[in-house]
Amino acid sequence: MASVKSEAKAENLEVKSTSRSSVLGFFMAAPPMLLVVCFVGIPILIAFTFSFGFTSGPNRVVSIIGQEIHKKDHWWGTFGAYKDVFKDSRFPGDLRTTIIVSFLSTFLTLLMALGIGLYQRIMGGRIAAIMTTLCLVPLFVPVVISSWAIHTFYAGDGFMRSLLSHFGINFPTVTSTVSAIVIGSVWTSLPFAILMVTSGLQSIPDALIETAQDAGAGFFRIVRTVLIPLAITPIVIAGTFTAIGIMGSFTIPLFLGPNQPTMLGVEISNFFGAYNRPQQSIVMAFIVFTAASGIALIYIWANVKSAKQSGRI
Amino acid sequence: MFKNKFAKALVAAAVSVLALGATAQTSHAASSTVQVYISADTNIQDLWVKQLIPAFTAAYPQYKVTVTFDLHGDHDAQETAKITAAAVLHKDPQVDVIDGGFVQQLGSAGLLWRPTAGLLPNIKNVSKSVLAAGKGGIPYRGSSVLLAYNSDHVKTPPKTLDDLLAWIKANPGKFTYNVPSGGGSGYAFVQTVVDKYLSAADRNTLALTANKDLQSKWAQGLETLRGLNKYTYGQNGTYPANNAETLKDLSTGLVDMGTVWSDQFASAQKAGTMPTNIKVVQIANPPLTGGASYLGIPSSSNNKTGARLLTNWVLSPAAQNLIVAGTLSGLPVIPVTMLDPTAAASFASVDISNLRPTYLSANGNDLKSAWASAVPGK
Repeated sequence: MASVKSEAKAENLEVKSTSRSSVLGFFMAAPPMLLVVCFVGIPILIAFTFSFGFTSGPNRVVSIIGQEIHKKDHWWGTFGAYKDVFKDSRFPGDLRTTIIVSFLSTFLTLLMALGIGLYQRIMGGRIAAIMTTLCLVPLFVPVVISSWAIHTFYAGDGFMRSLLSHFGINFPTVTSTVSAIVIGSVWTSLPFAILMVTSGLQSIPDALIETAQDAGAGFFRIVRTVLIPLAITPIVIAGTFTAIGIMGSFTIPLFLGPNQPTMLGVEISNFFGAYNRPQQSIVMAFIVFTAASGIALIYIWANVKSAKQSGRI
Repeated sequence: MFKNKFAKALVAAAVSVLALGATAQTSHAASSTVQVYISADTNIQDLWVKQLIPAFTAAYPQYKVTVTFDLHGDHDAQETAKITAAAVLHKDPQVDVIDGGFVQQLGSAGLLWRPTAGLLPNIKNVSKSVLAAGKGGIPYRGSSVLLAYNSDHVKTPPKTLDDLLAWIKANPGKFTYNVPSGGGSGYAFVQTVVDKYLSAADRNTLALTANKDLQSKWAQGLETLRGLNKYTYGQNGTYPANNAETLKDLSTGLVDMGTVWSDQFASAQKAGTMPTNIKVVQIANPPLTGGASYLGIPSSSNNKTGARLLTNWVLSPAAQNLIVAGTLSGLPVIPVTMLDPTAAASFASVDISNLRPTYLSANGNDLKSAWASAVPGK
């Protein structure tokens, strides 16, 4: 009887302690959640209503100051600002530039990260370690500094043109072109992609590679059928993070890109500041947001896949 | 023990409440503090912090002036929103005098104290039309956009806008102006070319009121600017991002000609960053725009008396001499005859009676947007 009682007591204690730790857990998770809800979630909602012409309440001040404001003419609002943006002759070019730069830069970044990662995984050794470490340097250089450095390197009076003109070669001015944005984006995105991809490749057991080798598989076959499929989750995560980061970038296209067409990040800032059209800039922001959400779906798919593999779900 | 601690806490709380009340009282009584908000380049910051404010506090030792500085007006939109919100909510905007490009915008929205000669006596020396364009803003210095050229390569600089346009086409890759949304010097060139095809009455209307119908007349000027794409530096329709980059392109010899702010150019030559072979001229028919910079006193300001005293002093000959002869090399807003003759001599080459105003900011914002749609990369 006594033992039953003490068992019940122990169980009771256990229940108490788990409920206590779950309360503690909730309070630990609450501050970041509250922060996101108050300072990101609610402003996004308010901005969303503003883009549909709800100009009263929290949107009152911005609608007094802004130009080309569309006020709602139905109970649900108006598409006025959205029509403005889609009719604007700049928008298709900006959207095209944003998409091309995002995909091209992500593709190049992943290609380079895989190159370094595979070299380190298969060859290994000191040189590989040094190269991987060197590739992480951009992580510690602020974006403003690196874009300015790239600007002075490729500008009309920059290093490349000055150097090559000594040999009679007229090197093109790369700044103010989409190529310069791609160069800058790859430079800033590479370290994170390398970290993700290298760690993904490192976690593949040697035994698998050796078995494939014993079965007579060549280098490219091992990469294609063993290494990449096994490291696909980190590769996809690196790709989605890179693409989302580049899609919303501002500093690099501002410093290195052409005046027009430019990437949406810069155009949003132009519309908000220089042209004083806050409603239209918010519409563009929601378009970028939608595109980024599409990429985020791929990220979620990759996470679910890896969770399934490891048996968590 | 507990009681003792409790009593101590009570006393401490009481003391802090009293202290709070006392500081609140002093900050109320200290309408002797004037809060100035500056949204400009560093040369204007130097003008206020190193010259105007020390001279003002020397003349009025009972006053203290605090400065909030926003480089290049990056936060104009936020500050405008803050002042607007403060007015709507009847709160203290925490600014008494504003020096920035958005002053006229605040004035048009009815958020500024309207200057009167009774409360601001020195205003009688300021040109009536310049004052009217301020919409409640008080003009306190002038600056003009000028054509800078490399005198080693250009012996006879263009005298009119048509001459300049012909020169640009005859010397491909040697002229540039910055993106209008990035700085006023490039904006002035754009507005001047657009104004070439507008009547004087239309130009005047756009300087004073927001007018969508007149904006359609910009098409011809924008087409002219688009035609210049292959002749300007960059040659594929790319332009420098801001005023400073145009100055850099001139000083490093990348271009032989460009539009610059009179005061930024003079400051750069004084500082030695602009070689002496770069010279400036004003063109005619129409001239590049220039105009007054305005101070604004928000109608919701807590210390309008102090703000008026400071503003009135800035319009006095003593302060105007500092603006003209100091590091800024600005233009005065009061008649030259009231200035110190040695100071007046320094800007003899610039015709200040002929300053052509820029558009009202609402029209200006639309012009920046129209330029971005029609010109670069096309």
